[in-house]
Amino acid sequence: MSLADLTLADAIAVGRDGGAAALLEACLERLQMVQPKLNAAIWVDAQAARDVAARMPRNGALPGIPLAHKDMYYQAGKPCTCGSAIRRDFVPTITATVIERLESAGSFTFAGLNMAEFAQNPTGHNAAFGDCKNPWNTDYITGGSSSGSGAAVAAGATFASLGSDTGGSIRLPAAACGVTGLKPTQTRVSRRGVMPLSFSADNAGPLARNARDCAIMLQVIAGHDPADPTSAAEPVPDYMAALTGDVRGLRIGIPTGALMTAADPQVQAAIEAACAVLAARGAVISRIDLPLMEAINTYVGIVSRVEGATIHARWMRGRAQDYAPHLAARLYAGAAIPGTYYVEALSRRGAILRAFAAEVFGQVDLIATPTIPTLLPTRAATDVDRFAQGEGDGGVVARFNAVSVNTRPFNYLGLPAISLNCGFDSNGLPIGLQLAARPFDEAILLCAADAYQRDTDFHSRMPPIA
Amino acid sequence: MADFVADTEAAIALWHGITPPNPAAHRFTEDLRLVIGAFEALRESLGFEEEPSAFEAALREAKR
Repeated sequence: MSLADLTLADAIAVGRDGGAAALLEACLERLQMVQPKLNAAIWVDAQAARDVAARMPRNGALPGIPLAHKDMYYQAGKPCTCGSAIRRDFVPTITATVIERLESAGSFTFAGLNMAEFAQNPTGHNAAFGDCKNPWNTDYITGGSSSGSGAAVAAGATFASLGSDTGGSIRLPAAACGVTGLKPTQTRVSRRGVMPLSFSADNAGPLARNARDCAIMLQVIAGHDPADPTSAAEPVPDYMAALTGDVRGLRIGIPTGALMTAADPQVQAAIEAACAVLAARGAVISRIDLPLMEAINTYVGIVSRVEGATIHARWMRGRAQDYAPHLAARLYAGAAIPGTYYVEALSRRGAILRAFAAEVFGQVDLIATPTIPTLLPTRAATDVDRFAQGEGDGGVVARFNAVSVNTRPFNYLGLPAISLNCGFDSNGLPIGLQLAARPFDEAILLCAADAYQRDTDFHSRMPPIA
Repeated sequence: MADFVADTEAAIALWHGITPPNPAAHRFTEDLRLVIGAFEALRESLGFEEEPSAFEAALREAKR
């Protein structure tokens, strides 16, 4: 067994004993082994990381822990491509608050990981740096946009990784690659120094091998940041203390509507089975109608498209050909959505959240859905850039859009949500269980996910490539 | 339909100085009709159209 196979919690014990250099070498070796097949990393700075590892302290929450993150977290003086040709040579002058917090806790960064171009697709396709490939089967999507984070964590090339989630971009690669990914409550984690995609719905959060490791990461990065006025002043609870395994009386609702009923039967069965595991620990499972879904789905699309078009307008004027064809076309059309629609979509967000929370969380504590409702598609079957260039059939777009249909609503609502592996489909690809909770109740998500992982071993299985 | 696409693309060019980057952009522009339809269909269906935004306040209020 390699040190790279350790969970983050176990790696911390090694780091505390002065094992930073050994942990780094194990990760570098694993990454070097899988990179030709997975294309999980965009850049690796082994020498700089070795220099840092040699002088790492043995204290802090992440003592001497080498980490690799989605390549959109700014680090002063280091490359940050945002997965794009346009930012291929971008070198930020500031460091993201979350990176600073991870470093203060004792970790250091050794690689920037592949991602969808500008975090703008749910599959992980990338025309600029090449697709990241699923470690369970390289023909299949990794999920996006934090594709490299999902693949690298699954393959044992990093103990955990920061992803970002605007419409599912942490949860989708977590589901597709068989790891655990947590999208925190909107405003829970600072976004200073993180590439913006849609500022109303962007979230920074962790992917890791299990819920406990996500809790460790969230504990370090959560909390108000004076440099990001949009971050909440809500106190940060002790997430590790929440991992009691006790879910007695926890009310879990499985939606009666499309989030569940439109899912593939294999996926539905896996979700039902996962809920049964929690029920055996004392959770109470029920069916629930989720209100306002049409409004939520309409408004989330308007907000993300307008904000994306706004952020990218300057490059769309002069460098549109440097985007992948599908992304350029999507950004282009977003420019036509009127400001009145955008303001209306945002102005109703609070009222919709209030109404949704009152109705749903009066009945249940958690919502359980498939993260990805379909069987995991192949990269070829969802290659919208080929379709944008006139190849393939219209089914490509439908399959592409279907990937994130269950995750996007929670971004509009700002609710925390976690995805964890709850089995494998008939193609041998992971199936993700998504749990969503009240605002700022990440602790209950982590508790439920950890309880599930105490009784199952899906999260600890490694793909053959590792 | 052709008028809708042409008019919308003219507006994008006028307001943003951006031209269609590829043929797929025309299809996405055409698809904006669906966005309009979905948005307008909500107009009379929601009971809180006059509420102020206060999303951050709603997050705090919806806590356990």
